[in-house]
Amino acid sequence: MNVDYLSMMVILPILASIFLLILTSRLNPAARAKFDAPVRMAAFIISLAMFAVATLMFLGQIGDDGGSGIAFNTFEFQESYVWIEQLGITWTVGVDGLSFPMVWLTTLLMPITIIATWNEKAGATYFPLMLMLGGALIGVFVALDMFMFYVFWELTLIPMFFMILKWGGKDRKYAAQKFFIYTFTASVIMLLGLLTMYFLMDTQTFSMQEMVVQASGANASGVWLGLEVQKVLFIMLMLGFLVKLPAAPFHPWLPDAHVQAPTGGSMMLAGVMLKMGAYGMFRLPISLFPHALEEFQFIIMMIGLVSLVWGAIVCLGQTNLKKMVAYSSVSHMGVILLGIASMQPLGWAAALFMMFAHGIISPMLFAVCGAFKHHYHSMEIGAMRGMAKHSPWLATSMMFGWMASLGLPLLAGFVAELMLMVAYWYAYGWWIIFPGLVLAITAAYYLWSMQRTIFEGGEATQPPESLHGEPVPDIDNSEKIAMLLLAAFTILFGIMPWIFLDMMDMWTRSAMAFLGLGGA
Amino acid sequence: MSTGNEFDTDMIETLGPEFTVFVGLLLIMVVPNLGNGTFRIPGTPIRLPWFLGGTRFKAVASPRLPGLLAVLTMALALFQVIWYLLDATPADGQDIMAGGVFIFKVNMFSRIFEAIFFAALLLAAIASLDRLPIGSQKSDDIDVLFNNRRQADFYILMLTSALGMSVVALAQDMFVLFVGLELASFSTYILVAFHKESRAGSEGGAKYFIVGSVASAVGLYGLSMLYLWAGSLQFHELAAHWEAQGATSLSMMALGFVLVGFAFKISAAPFHFAAPDAYSGANSPVAGVLATASKAMGMLGLMRVLLIITVPEATADGSAIWIGLLGVLAAVTMTWGNIAALGSENPKRMLAYSSVAHAGYMLAALTAIGAWNWGLVDNAGVAMDVVVAALLFHMFVLVFFKLGAFLVLGVLEMEGGASRLSSLAGLGKREPLLAVAMFLFMISLAGVPPMAGFLSKLLVIMGIVEVATGTGSLSSIGDAHWVWWLALLMVINSAISMFYYLRIGVVMYFHEPEEGRKGPLASGASIRIAIALCAIGTVAFGLVGGELIDLCRDAAESLR
Repeated sequence: MNVDYLSMMVILPILASIFLLILTSRLNPAARAKFDAPVRMAAFIISLAMFAVATLMFLGQIGDDGGSGIAFNTFEFQESYVWIEQLGITWTVGVDGLSFPMVWLTTLLMPITIIATWNEKAGATYFPLMLMLGGALIGVFVALDMFMFYVFWELTLIPMFFMILKWGGKDRKYAAQKFFIYTFTASVIMLLGLLTMYFLMDTQTFSMQEMVVQASGANASGVWLGLEVQKVLFIMLMLGFLVKLPAAPFHPWLPDAHVQAPTGGSMMLAGVMLKMGAYGMFRLPISLFPHALEEFQFIIMMIGLVSLVWGAIVCLGQTNLKKMVAYSSVSHMGVILLGIASMQPLGWAAALFMMFAHGIISPMLFAVCGAFKHHYHSMEIGAMRGMAKHSPWLATSMMFGWMASLGLPLLAGFVAELMLMVAYWYAYGWWIIFPGLVLAITAAYYLWSMQRTIFEGGEATQPPESLHGEPVPDIDNSEKIAMLLLAAFTILFGIMPWIFLDMMDMWTRSAMAFLGLGGA
Repeated sequence: MSTGNEFDTDMIETLGPEFTVFVGLLLIMVVPNLGNGTFRIPGTPIRLPWFLGGTRFKAVASPRLPGLLAVLTMALALFQVIWYLLDATPADGQDIMAGGVFIFKVNMFSRIFEAIFFAALLLAAIASLDRLPIGSQKSDDIDVLFNNRRQADFYILMLTSALGMSVVALAQDMFVLFVGLELASFSTYILVAFHKESRAGSEGGAKYFIVGSVASAVGLYGLSMLYLWAGSLQFHELAAHWEAQGATSLSMMALGFVLVGFAFKISAAPFHFAAPDAYSGANSPVAGVLATASKAMGMLGLMRVLLIITVPEATADGSAIWIGLLGVLAAVTMTWGNIAALGSENPKRMLAYSSVAHAGYMLAALTAIGAWNWGLVDNAGVAMDVVVAALLFHMFVLVFFKLGAFLVLGVLEMEGGASRLSSLAGLGKREPLLAVAMFLFMISLAGVPPMAGFLSKLLVIMGIVEVATGTGSLSSIGDAHWVWWLALLMVINSAISMFYYLRIGVVMYFHEPEEGRKGPLASGASIRIAIALCAIGTVAFGLVGGELIDLCRDAAESLR
């Protein structure tokens, strides 16, 4: 029997979350408190089941076919149903080498996020929202219909808005609205671009697969829709994705959203939601408008470089740990843009792998931030002084997270950065000095400053004032498990990157060939 | 088109829903007054029972009766309209004539508008069962007596406005249309001022009445000029005359004046100034009716005038003559509405300005129809269908989320007032389901998927973009028709509007309740049922709106 696993992975968590939300909202506060643990357990089991399904998909069909079934514009597990017949809108799902790693990453992060925030006492509505977010995110990655893609693209905003608003920090109201309005503005402009494109097509279709075929047919002999139009549409679509990514100068929402968001929200935001931007770029503007991409290659490179440098420099000046991690994300997203702008199969694969690696590493850093906040009641880097002595687990996790983030060899981030450097060298020659220097200097600076704050202080170090004389705690068992899992996956994909790199490589090579773009 | 029939028995069958409303109206007037009254034959001691007046019968004395009758009437009428719509095809059409003059036309287009009117009025009537306080019949308190006494008045006005609106929907003659418009308008003027004991109520009612009658007078003046020019106010004759004569200075002036009348009804800038006062002074279900049914009525008038009468005449480049004017009006209206809404601290004023913004979106869609190259007659009709269908869909689903938002405010009004943003504070804790419903309405108004508001906005933008891009390929976006920029302005405005819609969500979930406002709100089963219906409609038509889109397309086709 043919079971549509992908649609189930989208719909079931959303339905489950609505069910749990309605169930708990009918109860009075006292009765609701009793439901906290069962609801958390239910959310955990559902997310674990989703992870199991995604992993089995990989071990089965997707791993078996050697990547041929998931090359550019060919999809596995493809299913299609009529949704709104009158407009030609369908519910079409499928995964390829671009989306499968993201789907798997989402299902991996959901249970880990739930474990990491197991003891946060967030109340019975927190975990259902997490499920809804997970379902909507998977919906974005598996959607092969433009309408469905946009619906899930916007749907992800709602649970995240409430997570920031309800469990966020002091300025959560400002941050939640800023987050929503920034991304909403960008995405309605993207929507107008999509609709304009829809009506300019020869055969109007919402199916992304058919659009790509149509576009490539026209692009091969000329420029689909004409260069001017292609450029305008490219800008409109890219705007939506650049804000989501976020790249400088569209990033101001990110530090606010991250600093105010609860730990679980930050982990999902950094781990998966930012990747929606990069994913969207590959899926729509790059796949459809290769000529415009060539026109804008240099500008995208510059945006990437500015994001990288700006993010890194601002990051250096932060005293708030979470803000620092947030700016380091901006920096890493710049790396993805550099990979795209290199126009090399290797560079694109580096961008894809960076999406994946950053999706494991940054949640670890945010989990560390959350644990730090949870146990030290502070986000100030100053409060960390001598932490290695007081809380060895937390300090070790933090160091590990930073090392991974800065691209230490044998960890997942290194693979992506190395590939990027090679591709960038091919494409831009001596320009490599800029990203190279930035990456090297910031790495050195972070490690040095972390070493000073975390390990130094010696015997004389007093527990930080934010504890008000309480005994200095180390992290809980649930947090330890989450950190260990994330660290294990970081090492696993550092040593054996080919698990997903193979399919990414396959996808980028076939994409380059399909789009007729240059390559090494 | 079937042959017309004069006033006869067939007519009762054809105009079933309208007669239902009419009979309901008579019943509300008569039934509560039934009693053991008698009539003495003059000059004799014989008293004949004639059942009016005297001591009222127990069964009809309940102050709840008029409300229930009104709900029943509206439900029956709505049911008949929907029954017709499900059965009909775009080619169906039945004319009602009198003395060789077309009075009414019953087809899918007019019926779908009636469905919008009746649905809005039904929901408002259900909600009003709780909103208008009914006290114990034994009470001696003057307020209670007063409120019990005026129950019938309220629902009579609701039904007369329903009747007026359906006349507008069916009218085939400008004069008949105007009569219906005035019947509905006068009913709503009084409904707005119904809470005359409150200062806001009487102020809003007076403003609405004065501005409204001026707009009507201007419209009427325009009609007289049209008559002067064409010698008839029949739609088909006006259209034929327009085609033959083209725009003259007289007809253009007449058109401008008529537009003013309708622009007031849809609260387009700069004729929207009375709307925020009227909405905030009226009780919430009535304000909801103003923002949905009454606005749809104005839109209907605009469509009849702009698409039926004036479109056959086209300018040199093939677009309609009014396109520039309407485009400017649309741009100003949506931007003004949104910017004014940003600064509103009163949620009802905020919703009023958001309704102004929505009027701007609808005008933009109408502008797009005018932009079509009418020289290509084959395609022109198709493009018109698409945009008109989008407008119909928009107005239909607007009933659910706009009225629903007003009804949530109505629940708050029952507690004491909803004139400050802070009266919504803490709703998330006090009434989780109500807060969720309100949040759904807000994001639907903003156009976030998967709500019905998103689908409707998508359809409208799609319609505009389709017209703007045309069938030929473009060499640059600058070659697209300029209505494309209206679509861009529309999405930018949607983004601006996000701010004030979200603010409601933030206030509901983030702010602490006001002093003295704790715990669940006053109960009110029927208003909650109405809100639940609105919420279900908002989500359901967003997820599976296909059938309704089909219906709207058929209805749009029948306009041609």
